[in-house]
Amino acid sequence: MTPQSNAAITAQNVTRKYLGGSFTAVDDVSLDFPEAQVTAFVGPSGCGKTTMLRMIAGLEDPTQGSISVYGEPVLGPGPDRGMIFQAYTSFPWLTALQNVEYGMKIIGIGKAERREKAERLLQEVHLGHAADSYPSQLSGGMKQRVAIARTLAQNPTVLLMDEPFGALDAQVRWEMQEMMIEIIEVEKKTVIMVTHDIQEAIYLADRIVFFTRNPGRIKQDIILDFKGGKRFPQKEALLAEPGYIDVERQLFAWMREEIQSG
Amino acid sequence: MSSSDVRQGDKAAVVAQGQRTPKKERQKQFLRLLTPVDSKQTAIYGVLGAAAFFLLWEVGHYLTPEESRRFLPSPQHVVGTLIRLIEEKNFLADVGISLYRVIFSFFVATVIAVPLGVFMGCFSNMRALINPILSGWRYLPAASFIPLLLVWFGPTDTQKLALLFLGVIFFLVALILDNTEAVEKSLVEAALTMGANRWQIVMGVVARAASPAIVDSLRNMIAVSWTYLVIAEIVAAQDGIGAVMMRAGRFLKVDIIMAGILAIGILGVLTDIAFRLLAYWMFPWNRKRRG
Repeated sequence: MTPQSNAAITAQNVTRKYLGGSFTAVDDVSLDFPEAQVTAFVGPSGCGKTTMLRMIAGLEDPTQGSISVYGEPVLGPGPDRGMIFQAYTSFPWLTALQNVEYGMKIIGIGKAERREKAERLLQEVHLGHAADSYPSQLSGGMKQRVAIARTLAQNPTVLLMDEPFGALDAQVRWEMQEMMIEIIEVEKKTVIMVTHDIQEAIYLADRIVFFTRNPGRIKQDIILDFKGGKRFPQKEALLAEPGYIDVERQLFAWMREEIQSG
Repeated sequence: MSSSDVRQGDKAAVVAQGQRTPKKERQKQFLRLLTPVDSKQTAIYGVLGAAAFFLLWEVGHYLTPEESRRFLPSPQHVVGTLIRLIEEKNFLADVGISLYRVIFSFFVATVIAVPLGVFMGCFSNMRALINPILSGWRYLPAASFIPLLLVWFGPTDTQKLALLFLGVIFFLVALILDNTEAVEKSLVEAALTMGANRWQIVMGVVARAASPAIVDSLRNMIAVSWTYLVIAEIVAAQDGIGAVMMRAGRFLKVDIIMAGILAIGILGVLTDIAFRLLAYWMFPWNRKRRG
């Protein structure tokens, strides 16, 4: 793949080795992420998709190769790349509102603007009623909403999500997915998400990068053409779309190949 | 045997079985796993436990032969002695001295241990540098420092404070290091991705997240400090609860010794409660949800 000029993120020949080089989590991966595209990393457990995401976030360094965001090499984590984790990372000592304000405080946004924006974002993630609750009083789904609002509050150019709904039960996950569609529509950010959930990947993403396991390489890189550039506010509308089932069947087939080859 | 006989027999067996096994109900056990008690029951159990202890003590007192009963005075006698000491012997001044020694030495230990433990917990290379030399000290009994401290400081207040300090500091650092390392890594990573700098993360995230556990560690360690008090005040001390007890021991005044033990127990419980209130007041976000 050749680097494109409109790419928000470019990864070139990225390799990440562990255990003194004896284990290769990511092997020579090159990818371009165009602006405002939603990409899902899919693949079996241990295929390096999370490692790849963490390297883009700057939480880990590539052993070889380089990653850049709008031409700037990634040298560490930063607020231009907002990250949402699978673990609940809303700070337990801050209320929902204070959590959302935290990120803005870090990047030096004034108090009045902070408060106003935090309130608006809590509305956006359907959490306006719980602004003054501490995370210990919130459910898992609500904690993730706080984390999403807090990340959006910094207005990052890139949104990275590491299995953001992996710890939630099926119903809440579904609600969160539909909420994410709203957010993607409103915020128009470049999004990269890691997920185990094939249906989630097809529902949220414009493009799916499928990783192989040990070493982590790109098995397939597909654009979800069947959606015709549409995003579906309701998940069942996607399932009714012609072509959906073919993609899902294909992804399951790749998943089976990878699991059996491991 | 006819078929009707068989049926008769079956019926009888069914009836008999029905009589043998009573209606199944969940058993009300006295000791049930994973079953919480409400606050009223907790209070009742607490009072019952304490009453049983004092009853046992009382019985022990009366079972002791007349001539040696003064070596095991009754609970009410000990309480009476404690009141008499306060009223006639200015015992509260000794209590004050002891309280000051425990709190001041513990305060100094806290001021050193909390930053050090958090610092080591945040930066592995600092842990690697400091922890090996520090952890060995935990295995030395604090009392073994007494001769050294006497040579260095003489029979002064400083010597007592130093002993109490040495008794807790190494454990305190180890506990706070553990508390700090137990902070979820993802909280730190979230702060990093939001662009927080090291100082903001150490103070604003790690220390904040660890603070309830740290206050818990402090609460547990001040109990240890109280246990060292008598050791500190046994040697070359003129004042303090321990000194009063030592003098009483010389004259076989068991009631005064026991009154001293009782006083330390009461003070220990009070400091424990103080730390619990402090934690409740400092960390409203960490209060257990009720019901």
